[in-house]
Order: sequence, then structure tokens, then C-alpha cells
Amino acid sequence: MAVLPTNANPAPSPIQVPMRTRYYDGVTAEALDVRVRASTIDLTISRADNSTVVARWPVTDLIVLGDTEHEAVPAVAPRGSDARLVIEDPEQRRQLAQTVPALERLARPRPSAGGRIALFGSALVIVIGLFWGGVEYGSEAVAPLVPHVLQAKLGEAVRDELVDGKEMCLGNAGLVAINRLANDLGKAAGHPHKITVNVVKGGPVNAFTLPGDILVFYSDLITQAKDSSQVAGVLAHEIGHAVHYHPIKGLTRQFGVDVLLHSLTGGFSDIGTLTSGGGLLLALRNGRAFEREADATGVELLEKLGVRADGVASFFEQLMGKETSDAAKMLGMWSSHPPTAERILATKRPSTGRPAFTEAEWAALRSVCGETLRDPSSTRTPKDPPTTVRPRPR
Amino acid sequence: MLHCSNERPWAPRGCVTDVSAAPAPDLTPSRPVYDGSLGELYGIYLRHLALMVLTLGWSRFWGRTRLRRYLWSHLSILGDRFEYRGRGRELLFGFLFVLVLLALWFGLIWALWYFRLREHPVPGLSVTNMFSVSLALLGLPLAFVGQYAGLRYKLTRTRWRGIRAGLDGSAWGYGMRATFLTFINAMTGQLMLPLVSVGLARPRIANARVGTLHFDFAGRAGDIYGRYIGYYFLNILMWVVAIAVVAVAIGGTFSDLDTKSEEFTKLFSEPSLRTLVLAAAIGFAAYLLFGLLILPVRCWWQAYLFRYLVSRTRAGNVLFASAISTWQMWGFLVLNYLIVVLTLGLGWPLVMHRTLRLVAQELWIYGAPNGASIQQPADHGPGYGEGLLDMFDVTGF
Repeated sequence: MAVLPTNANPAPSPIQVPMRTRYYDGVTAEALDVRVRASTIDLTISRADNSTVVARWPVTDLIVLGDTEHEAVPAVAPRGSDARLVIEDPEQRRQLAQTVPALERLARPRPSAGGRIALFGSALVIVIGLFWGGVEYGSEAVAPLVPHVLQAKLGEAVRDELVDGKEMCLGNAGLVAINRLANDLGKAAGHPHKITVNVVKGGPVNAFTLPGDILVFYSDLITQAKDSSQVAGVLAHEIGHAVHYHPIKGLTRQFGVDVLLHSLTGGFSDIGTLTSGGGLLLALRNGRAFEREADATGVELLEKLGVRADGVASFFEQLMGKETSDAAKMLGMWSSHPPTAERILATKRPSTGRPAFTEAEWAALRSVCGETLRDPSSTRTPKDPPTTVRPRPR
Repeated sequence: MLHCSNERPWAPRGCVTDVSAAPAPDLTPSRPVYDGSLGELYGIYLRHLALMVLTLGWSRFWGRTRLRRYLWSHLSILGDRFEYRGRGRELLFGFLFVLVLLALWFGLIWALWYFRLREHPVPGLSVTNMFSVSLALLGLPLAFVGQYAGLRYKLTRTRWRGIRAGLDGSAWGYGMRATFLTFINAMTGQLMLPLVSVGLARPRIANARVGTLHFDFAGRAGDIYGRYIGYYFLNILMWVVAIAVVAVAIGGTFSDLDTKSEEFTKLFSEPSLRTLVLAAAIGFAAYLLFGLLILPVRCWWQAYLFRYLVSRTRAGNVLFASAISTWQMWGFLVLNYLIVVLTLGLGWPLVMHRTLRLVAQELWIYGAPNGASIQQPADHGPGYGEGLLDMFDVTGF
């Protein structure tokens, strides 16, 4: 216990620092107005009204609780004790600190509020800028470095979630055909990983790419395609996503933006609602940029293989023909895709080049779900294995 | 002379003898003093935000601690400042502890699924769904438990005149009580609100102490039911009026506008100055409507409830009172909310500053405790804190 008995011998050659201040003994909540005598050896605290010594603290035991940045009046206390000495007058604190170097923190001037706002406000703006840049450009560099096994596990988990309760098409020849073209396109892009295409029975007329180079096609897209070049065009577009690691980049950016917004708003729920709207807008903006890049890469890869590259534009034209208006254009910043007319213009190519699939491959692909799509004359032989299966229970 | 009155909440129940000869207790009034500066608070807060971004949010435990140290030490009662002696690492440990508990819970759910449900799956019930649903069900009670445990942590880290404050009672008991009362209140169309308000204020006040000095609470739901019933039906009436006004306004606007749906969609898909003006006008109209009809009534009730709860609280011979007005409650509940939301959180320091100034302005303390009779408590409180609060509740500082 650092507090000495009040009848102990006074310290030699005391330096008088007369000051009125508050003393709490740490045992009861009694508050005493006291005077303090400081020497290089100890601090003597006596009652202001009758000069009775109430405590004597060796300076080697003294500590300052807190600092002048956060505490209005940092208290002085003996180490490990609940007792406190609180000196309200800054000048008196400064004098005490001069006498007792261990209490140097008492004398530190209070930091200027304006200076700190300018300093930390600028630091905050810079940090946000760096973080933003890191998320925007860092994801480009980091995405390919994420172990492919992890990406594949994530992709498989998401695929299982998305196709839960739907039938997967297992027509072997059709799957071989679409996987062959997918990997040819991947190789043409110099993509180092194997690409796997799954076909889900039914709609919508859509396809998507998941982390780990997992592509999912809905069979309605194959059913409603005018010819094989359209399916090849959509496939090439999806390969564009895969070779640019868009799924993992998108996740990285989304996570980064979420962390940034959460850090800045402190998790206040209603702000969270507002900022998740902001986060959604950013995700959609990312989505539109990814779609443009995938369109361009898809067409480029088809041309590189010498395959007909008009399928992307003609597929969009077919979609446009069914709609009364360009939904993506109408939705503007709320759309995850660029306006369809803009995409048609960007991907328009002549119908030259060899077909993406052989006749046999195309036929097999159209019957990948066990029936000859749009062709009632074609039937499955009884010996064929069942060509649809429900996903395994998870 | 005998008094048989219920006017004095601190008098013994029933009729009492007036002991005129006894010395009148010292009821000298005083108010807390808050001498914090908004600029200094912003200096601390902006540093906290910069560190939050740099550390991906992990610095929040230390940032919160710094803010509390500032706020506590700039608030004083009877000339003695409060101290906050919590540590950032204690909040971190609390958070990690709850994280471990959640991991164990997830493990349990996973084991249940793996050994029982994997072979006979229930459609749509995956292991992640089971975990989310169980957390959603546990979230409400756990948030209440977290609120109480968080209050205990804050109080045990608070000192006045060097003496630690504290909170007795079980956080789990409070959580169960709060869940039950909230459920009952919801089932009865909010008619049990006075019971809930008083029932939840009681453990929070009566279990609180400064050192060995315990607080007492003499509130009874019956005291405030009459006014609540008045508020309840007035509130319904105001909603009916507000909905009628909105219906008339919307009907009129749409018939006048003659705007094609495409133009309307374009307005929001390609935002322009017109969109902003329109959004601001709609927001302002909604604010005016609710600001004039619903919120004043609610603030009136909240101000009354607050005054009641404070007046039924005492600590030894010290009594408390508040004269907070409806307008001040509006500033506390509505304006503070708008400040935080519209500044996307940057207004937090202003809200904290305003709140402490309101406390300093509107809390009256009658009398002073006998400091020599208040002892330092033996216990130091929990070693870590606020994990549940951090996980299940959205709180300020």
C-alpha cells in the first residue's frame, strides 16, 4: 500500500506547492479539500481546513490516471490504490509536474481541438481514399491469388444453394460438348484452371458464373436459343467473367465496401439501412463494369478461336424483341447490367467463322435434359440412363 | 397528526405520524455539470473513425473506451468528476468470448444436422438456415441480457470520488423478464407498456449502487396507467388523422400530376436536381406530418415517463427530479436520431454532447450523500464486458 501513515516523518527540504484540491481515500466516498506539499521524495496531502496530514505518497509510487487528451483532470494516484488526488487548476498541475517528474503527463497542454479535427479529419479522408483504392484495385491483384480450391468450395456451396430443389441435367454428350467449348475458350484466354459447366433444368433464360470457374446454365436458355452461336455467345460471355475472376472480385469489393461503411457508421442500424443502399449501388456499378468487360472478352475469345462471334449480339436482340422496353436502361443506376442496346452495339459482329459446336454436339446439348428440345421427332431410347437428377441433399 | 396520502412516494405505505420535531433533511438542490467541448469530442471521434477503417473495425473497443473516458471525466456531480476506468482489451475479450460461444452453438447445430438430419433432410432447412433461425429466436432475449450485462460492465468501470459503482442482480433474469414483458406487451397491443417500463426500470435502478450506497426505486405501473391510456387513444387518433391526410394528399397529387410511369421511373433511375427536390419535398412533408401529429404526442408521453421514473428514484437520503419538457424530449429522441441518420453517423459526437448537456440541465439532485458512510465495494465486477451487447444490440457509446 503506497499511502503512508499520517504521522510519518516529513520529507527533507520540501518544496512548497500550495494548492487546494480534492482528495479521495479510496476506502469511502468522503471528499476532502486538501493542500499538497510536493518534494522529490514524497507528496504530503493535508486537510485544507485544519492541516491534518491525511496521506503521504512516495513519488516512486505515483502514477497519472489517463491523459489530458481524454480526461478533464487526470487524477494522481499511488500505484495499485483506489485513492485519488484531483487537482482542478492546470497551473497547479504544471507546478506539481515540475517538482515530480514522474507526473510529467499532468503538465502536458491540452491538445487544440481545431488542430486535432484538421489532423484526424484529413487522416480519415486519406485512409478512406486508400481503402477505397485498395478495394477497387487491390481486388484485381488479389482475386487470382485466392487458392482455387477455396474458390471452388465457395462456388460449389453457392451453386448447391441456388439450384436447391431443381433438377440438374446430366446428358453426358451435351455436357461434354458445352464443357469442351468452355475450356477451349478458357485456354484461348490463357486461363490456368479447368472450367465446369452445369446445366439446370428449366428457367429463367439465364446463366451465371460462380467462384472456382463453375458455370451454371439454365436449359431454357438452350431451348430458346435461335442457333448454337447464341449459346456459344452466352457461354463466351460467362467465360469472360471466369477468366477475369469477376465473382471473387465482386465478393472482395462487396466485403471491402461493407467493412468500410460499417466502420464509418459504427453499426447504427438505421444508418446501416441507408449505407447498405449505398453499398448496393456500388455493387450494381461494379456489376455493370463486369458485364461490359465480359461482353468484350467473350467476343474476343470467340474471334480468337475462329468461331462465329455474332451470337452475343443476336441473343441480346432476341431478348430485346421480347421486351417492350429496355429494362436495364430504364433502371439506370439500379440495374446490374448495362442497357441492352448499348451491349448489342458493343458486341455486334458479322456472322462469319465456323460454328461453335458440331451438329452432333449441338444436338446432344439440346437434349442434355433428356428430351429433344424443340424437336418432337427426337426421342430418348429406353436404354439411355436417366438424364436428370436432383442435387444431392446437403 | 396523521397523513394518509400517496403523494409522497418515499413515505411508508398507509398513514404515518408527522414527526415535526425531527430535523429536516438537507435537500439542497444541485445539478450535474458537464464541461465537455464539442470540438475536443470530434477530435477523439475522427481519430477513432480513421483507426476503425485502418484496422477493419477492430479498434472499436479502444475507441469506445477513449470516448467514454472523455465523456465521464467531463461530467461531475456535487463537484466531483466521474472516472471511466474500463480498458479496450476488456471489451475485446468480451467480444471474443461471445464469438467463441457462437462458434460452439454453430458446432452444436452442425452436429444435430450431421447426425440427425443429414440422411433425412427437411426441405429448405439447411444447416445455415437452422443457425440463422436459432439466432433470430435467441437474438431478442440475448440483446436484453446484453443490455443488462453491458450496464453492469459500464457501472463497475465507473468511479465517483474513487469509489466503484456497480449493478447487482442477474442479467439472465433480466433478459427473461424483459422478453416476457415485451412479448406480453406485443400480444396486448401495447396496452401493458407502463408495466413494461416500470418493470424494466426497477431492476436497472434498484440493483444499481455507488460503492455500498444502493439506489431505491418506488415506481408503480398503477401510478402512470391513467395518463398512458389517454396517450394510447390520442396516439391512435393521431395516426388515423395522419393516414387520412396522407390518403387525401396522395389521391390529389396523382390525379393532378398526370405523369407517365416512364417519366416517373426515369426520375429515380437517372437522378437529377428535380429528383433531389422531389425527394426533399416528400421527406419534408412526411416529417411535417409526423412531426406535427405523431411525434409530439409520443414525446409528451416519454417526457412524462422519464420525469416519473426519476422522481421515484433515490440513493440514501439523496432524491432526484427532472423537469424535462416535451420539447426537450423531442430534441433527445427525434432530433438526435435525425442528426445521426442524416449525417451517416458523423453526428454521433454532437448527439453525445447534446445528451450530456440535457442531463446536466434537467437532472436535479436534492441533498448530498454522507460520503464517509459509503464504502468501496469488495468486488471489481466482471473481467470483460459488452460482448453480447456488441453482437446482438446496436448501441451508441
